[in-house]
Amino acid sequence: MTVALYLALISAVLLIISILLLTRAVGRASEAAVDNEKEVSLGFKEDALALEVSARIFNPEDLNFVATETSGQFAHTFREERTTLALGWLRHVRGQVRQLIRIHRRTVRVNSDLKPLDEFRLFFGFLLFQLMSGMLYCVIWVHGPVEAARVLEWSLQFAGKLRKIAEEAVSVATPVRAEIIKTDPRMSGGTKSS
Amino acid sequence: MHGEFKHADVEAARKDFQVRTLAKIPGDFARLVYLASTRDYNSGQYHHEGLARQFTEQVAREALASCHKDVFKRLALCSVRELVEELETYVGSTHLPALDMLSAWENLQPYRIAIPLDCSPLIARFFASNVKAALAILRFRQNLARPDRQFASQRQ
Repeated sequence: MTVALYLALISAVLLIISILLLTRAVGRASEAAVDNEKEVSLGFKEDALALEVSARIFNPEDLNFVATETSGQFAHTFREERTTLALGWLRHVRGQVRQLIRIHRRTVRVNSDLKPLDEFRLFFGFLLFQLMSGMLYCVIWVHGPVEAARVLEWSLQFAGKLRKIAEEAVSVATPVRAEIIKTDPRMSGGTKSS
Repeated sequence: MHGEFKHADVEAARKDFQVRTLAKIPGDFARLVYLASTRDYNSGQYHHEGLARQFTEQVAREALASCHKDVFKRLALCSVRELVEELETYVGSTHLPALDMLSAWENLQPYRIAIPLDCSPLIARFFASNVKAALAILRFRQNLARPDRQFASQRQ
């Protein structure tokens, strides 16, 4: 009986703490959302420099130079720092994209000229970005930024090839479709003549 | 109209400061340290007596902030190899024993307060990491050049 009473009391206390934390978190989230909008314009000023810095983070030149000029232990620490920086950069980019989507969602709610197809495209692009950046995050975390840069380069080349194949397929499919439309009177809207 | 006029003033002050002051300082590292030293620790505002007298306090402040950002950007985008060269130039310009200066920089990390105020944390961290690496390389080279000193420091 006493144990059950203690458990009930602890549960009640935990519940109250959870409710308090949740209320505070919701309040903070709404405040942060307002602040985020203000920060977007400020953050983008730094983007050009952040982009140039990201090129350096993923560049193997510094890592190789430090490895040849210092001790193995320091080179290892430096490599770990670069990994942390690369992950930080990726989090920053993902945060910027999420902020943009959040702002877009807010603007879309009051927009009467909404184009569902464009919205679907954007949503699909966002999902793809989340997926790709999530994968990149894992590769950086496991192998470091230099290897991740190689994977990124390979995936970009692969994406380029896929796009080329898709474009070729579309260019082949278009005349065939046009031919079907031309010959099939039902599709062209004409009457069948024998 | 007033904004454009003010911008032209800041640009003039920038050029004047670059020609008269910054050009005479050897290397970007020394320039960065100098520019950071013109900034008040408490308010984060820049002050330069001569520039403020020639232009206005506000124009001088903005010109110094702009120069600081430029110099920092150049150093932040340097490779570690280039940063080592910059740091070597700076160490040479101080006329202090290299190992003493390297020890002070490794312990006090003054390069952390030489970063412009509105720099993003990611870039600041990247810069600090590169400077730390450049310092380690210089120390490594110094130790190789003076093995007796290295032995002494290891014994301590």
